[in-house]
Amino acid sequence: MKKIRVLLFKPGIDGHWRGILTVSRALTEAGMEVIFEGFKSVDTIVEAAFQEDVDVIGYSVHSGAHHEWTRRLSQTLDEKGARDSFLIIVGGAIPHADHEALKQEGADAVFSPGTNTKDIVRFIEENVGGAGR
Amino acid sequence: MDRRSNASVFMEWSTEMSDDARKISEEQEKWLLQLEGVKERKEAFVSDAGIPLKPLYTPLDVGDIDYVEEDGFPGMPPYTRGVYPNMYRGRLWTIRMFSGFGTPEETNQRWKMLYDHGETGFSSAVDSLTFAGVDPDDPIEWLESEVGKEGVPLYSIRGMEAMVEGIPIDEVSVALVVEPETSAAITSMYFNVAEKRGIPKSQLRGTTQNDILTMTIGYVPWHPLKPQDLLKLACDLIEYCTAMGEAPKWNPVNFTTYNYREGGIDAVQEIAFGLANAVAHIDEMLRRGWKIDDFAFRLAFHLAAQRDFFEEVAKYRAARKLWYRLMTERYNPQQPVSKQFRFHVQTAGSSLTAQQPTVNIIRTAYQALEAVLGGCQSLHTNSFDEAVCLPAEESVLLAVRTQQVIREETGVTDVIDPLGGSYYVEALTEELEHRIWEYFLEIEEAGGIVAALNSGWLYREMNKAFDKRRKAVESGEEKVIGVNTCVVDEEEPCPPFRTNPDAARIEIERLEKLRQERDNQKVAGLLDELKRVCETRENVLPVVSRLTAEGASVGEITNTFREMWGLWDCPMMG
Repeated sequence: MKKIRVLLFKPGIDGHWRGILTVSRALTEAGMEVIFEGFKSVDTIVEAAFQEDVDVIGYSVHSGAHHEWTRRLSQTLDEKGARDSFLIIVGGAIPHADHEALKQEGADAVFSPGTNTKDIVRFIEENVGGAGR
Repeated sequence: MDRRSNASVFMEWSTEMSDDARKISEEQEKWLLQLEGVKERKEAFVSDAGIPLKPLYTPLDVGDIDYVEEDGFPGMPPYTRGVYPNMYRGRLWTIRMFSGFGTPEETNQRWKMLYDHGETGFSSAVDSLTFAGVDPDDPIEWLESEVGKEGVPLYSIRGMEAMVEGIPIDEVSVALVVEPETSAAITSMYFNVAEKRGIPKSQLRGTTQNDILTMTIGYVPWHPLKPQDLLKLACDLIEYCTAMGEAPKWNPVNFTTYNYREGGIDAVQEIAFGLANAVAHIDEMLRRGWKIDDFAFRLAFHLAAQRDFFEEVAKYRAARKLWYRLMTERYNPQQPVSKQFRFHVQTAGSSLTAQQPTVNIIRTAYQALEAVLGGCQSLHTNSFDEAVCLPAEESVLLAVRTQQVIREETGVTDVIDPLGGSYYVEALTEELEHRIWEYFLEIEEAGGIVAALNSGWLYREMNKAFDKRRKAVESGEEKVIGVNTCVVDEEEPCPPFRTNPDAARIEIERLEKLRQERDNQKVAGLLDELKRVCETRENVLPVVSRLTAEGASVGEITNTFREMWGLWDCPMMG
């Protein structure tokens, strides 16, 4: 079976990288192909996502700007007509109260602190290759 | 009493002790018999750092410890029991809350509120732009979304002026939590504001965190500088403030082992990283031709308070002892204060959970108690909502009250080092001391802090530790209330604190106005001078200080470092 391919990045300039690095290691352990891009602009990431033919785009936000970055990513994907080409997951210091709004803004799943990485793995495995992808 | 009778009393006492030990040993045998075949809750009991724990500690466990040699008296070597002779019977620790958000004016209001409610020292949390040294009008994608979000934006002297407006900085100490990328810029901004207010920098009390490991293993900023350049900048501030005597009451560095610990390492690694980091700075200062007594008296630390109660208390005691020994054996400073391990403590942010957040109040209270029983000089208590957002006013007030309850209601401040003499705590202190020293030697073998950063050794150690911790929590071996035990299915999410959505506009305007009003030719000339200083690797402080006084921004200064010295390719994957 083809390995699930995941692109992870940090939008903006906030350097709290422990969370995304942890997710990167957990997904790799679960047998996925992880490309960890570090700080990147959304345009670069969307381009890389096509080039690398990934299934999932994941990013982590600890700056409180999770709404802004989610909207920005969705908008860029929309411009390319690619809203449904990738599974979009976001994690970080995100209040539970914001989960629903983030899903409205384009995230397929939101993972707040205390998430078991197994739940992230399960979500990806269950949803990659789903309708429209 | 004459000499002879003194000696005979001692003889009598020591025979008594060995009789005692025999008696204790016999009784212990009887007790152990009772334990045979009795099932325990766990297969093995170990401390957070992996130290095997006995069910009980007795005088037999501390029989080899020479009291005067290993414990001594507070304010006296090896300072195990505290750095001051009277500790909290004289002066209590400083209640110093790490705080900042939105705009400098809003942060100023929060600081005044905290001060009115009993805070006794200030500490500024800055936003990601200030931390990295980036101006809000830099053409980085959507930079405005991060202005004032994680902390206060301090992009120029005007922001600094607004943040400390009306704050009695001549009386109360302020911690500037910025790192080598921006420590020269931000500290000089603060000094310049004080001087404008008529307070000479020689009188200012406070701290600049200025920690190279915070900006490498704690947090990796956007476009980071190389470790060797961070060390240069860190030492420039130590040299300027302390060795050159410009701000002799200012702590120019705070080795922030807290930030390394938050990345998953244990108490042993935390202190060993801190000692190794301090050694890198000391050696660089000596290489520059200074004597140990010119600067070591201002080296300070910022430690974590994590979940293992007794191990953390023992850690503070062991750290004091190790610092004394390291300084004495390796550098032999003449001033006692250079051998006294002074530290601030922050309760563990990584122990806070987004689930059932009010439980965080209880975690924080226990951790704060560890810090106090461990003899800290200053303390920050986290607010219960900090797993997911910056603290709201009512939650930060509760965090201040947590410290006040310990101060006023528990009585734990009345006796110095009250856990000293506990067989368990003494045995743990001893064990930690050995383990920390062994691990410190491993770091030295890896080439010291700068080499260990560049080779990725430190990252491998961090990643290994964090993976281990994550697996322990995810398997349920390490219990976390609300996460893997005592879980509540449906929780009502608590409304998060939001920062000012207009912060970016306000700050961009503030900077634009400054750029219009300042002498741009003068600033450009000074930036050229900074480039020259970067090339010759002279101390950057004198020119940076003039730059910030003339209205240069933090981004302009830090971009000069990036341009002149290049960026670091951080081996964070280990």
